Amino acid sequence: MRKQEKVALFFLLPYLIVFIMFRLGPSIAGILVSFTKWDIIGNPQFIGFKNFWYLFQDQNFHIALKNTFLFLLLTAPPLVLFSLLFAVLLNQGMKGKNLVRTIVFSPYVIMPAVIGIIWNWLYDNNFGIINYYLRFIGLRPIEWLTSENWALFAVSIVTVWSLVGYNMILYLAGLQGIDNGLYEAARIDGANGFQMFIKLTVPMLAPVTSMIVTLTLINTVQIFDQIYVMTSGGPGTATLTLVQYMYGQAFQNFTLGYGSSIGFVILLILTGLVLFQSKVIKAES
Amino acid sequence: MKTKRINILPYLLMGLVALIFLFPMAWTIISALKPEGQIVSYPPQWIPQTPTLENFTLVLQKFPFMQWVWNSVFLAIVSTVLVLVLDSMAAYAFGRLEFRGKKILFGLIVSMLLVPIQAYVVPLYMLFSTLGMLNSYTALILPVCANVTGVFLLTCFFRSIPNELQEAAMIDGCNDFTIFYRVMIPLSKPALSSVAIITFISSWNSFLWPLIAIRSDHLKPLPVGVAQFMGAAGGVSGSAPQYGISLSAACMAVLPTLIVFLILQRFFVQGIVSSGIKG
Repeated sequence: MRKQEKVALFFLLPYLIVFIMFRLGPSIAGILVSFTKWDIIGNPQFIGFKNFWYLFQDQNFHIALKNTFLFLLLTAPPLVLFSLLFAVLLNQGMKGKNLVRTIVFSPYVIMPAVIGIIWNWLYDNNFGIINYYLRFIGLRPIEWLTSENWALFAVSIVTVWSLVGYNMILYLAGLQGIDNGLYEAARIDGANGFQMFIKLTVPMLAPVTSMIVTLTLINTVQIFDQIYVMTSGGPGTATLTLVQYMYGQAFQNFTLGYGSSIGFVILLILTGLVLFQSKVIKAES
Repeated sequence: MKTKRINILPYLLMGLVALIFLFPMAWTIISALKPEGQIVSYPPQWIPQTPTLENFTLVLQKFPFMQWVWNSVFLAIVSTVLVLVLDSMAAYAFGRLEFRGKKILFGLIVSMLLVPIQAYVVPLYMLFSTLGMLNSYTALILPVCANVTGVFLLTCFFRSIPNELQEAAMIDGCNDFTIFYRVMIPLSKPALSSVAIITFISSWNSFLWPLIAIRSDHLKPLPVGVAQFMGAAGGVSGSAPQYGISLSAACMAVLPTLIVFLILQRFFVQGIVSSGIKG
């Protein structure tokens, strides 16, 4: 071993030990476990692709898969669109814009469990202030979290509310990188605000957007705490997502192998989304 | 000449946005200050008639709330310090040293960015169960130390430091170790503070793994402890709602974070921007 390799080993070793033990090792083991039948009592038995075959026929898995994608559709587009609009709005030279930026970002630092409590209170069928104001303006109150039709939508609103500030910060950083001269030139050419937004701001922010889309997809597929606290996947299976189902199978039913196979599906979906997203970027540029 | 005219519309929009984000928190704080009977009074009262702290004292008396806060603070600080040490050392090797298999190893580490905890949480659980370390601080700290983002960010940062600095330091008689802590570490304070902030937030908010790994009430970190109150509020199970304690617990769990955030705001934003743009 050359001297520099010894030095490198010294610097690497502490990290590598924890990385291999608690990240790489478990990840590989996780894939292996998903090919076993393993019910906490007894040893794992290799059963090939059977878990995935069961998943294929499992009604609840279909629901969880559907809910996960529905949740993605309900949260990701608003999370991208609103964060862009907020960033553009709060990038103008207005008094108090820094304060409002802070306010919009602040839900991000509140732990999701707490966000769940806050919103369950706002959504309460009988005493919730949202339903009060709905009645106040003459609308019918909504059973936000206890109706199968509304629950996933209600949870999506909360997710957008809590995460949009994070994306906004990234967009604000992106906006700062755009050369003001471009806007001056466009103004001289007679462009109005909307045209400049569509023809200049949006294209110039494309790299930030693609990054935000990727991060948002990864985060929303993995969302757990809020749904767990707010509805625990219910009512019925209305908010049962893949992560909820994985948790239920592995740590409440203690069917570890089956739970792992759901974890493996989540990994595949994430990889797929990221690859798809990077393909789209390549195709566009 | 252009007339100077303040456009009112952006200000209206800004006010509306601020309202949407303040309203839930404001209503929670106000409600927590009311006695149980008034919380559910109809129509809702924005100004509590008889403000009281009784809900707050109930939470502190009936639950090991301060213990949960302490657990979270302790775990977040220890994890952050360990991550900074381990990640910066590893990043120095990847960013500034040559060794066989460097590219493959680095690629392997970065590829783990894609693997979500759901894909390895079962083996993690079994590992700690076998080691007999479930239900302990160790179980919560070690997996956090296998942090990938930090190694990635810091390696990129170390790589961007010009070679001349290193050469100058070598001429002055520095070896790898002194270059690491006399040159690289002081230079990378912004990157290190980003990694610290990201690690701190993710440890502070982490939920799934502590929920699985911790059984004892007094070892729970704050998010897992606070989540119990949803049962008490009965929003889902259908029992009579008891919002007082859950709302005041929510307030108490938020306040420290909000205060720290307001003080360190600049670093938060910096941390998010650098991790987002590069990650």
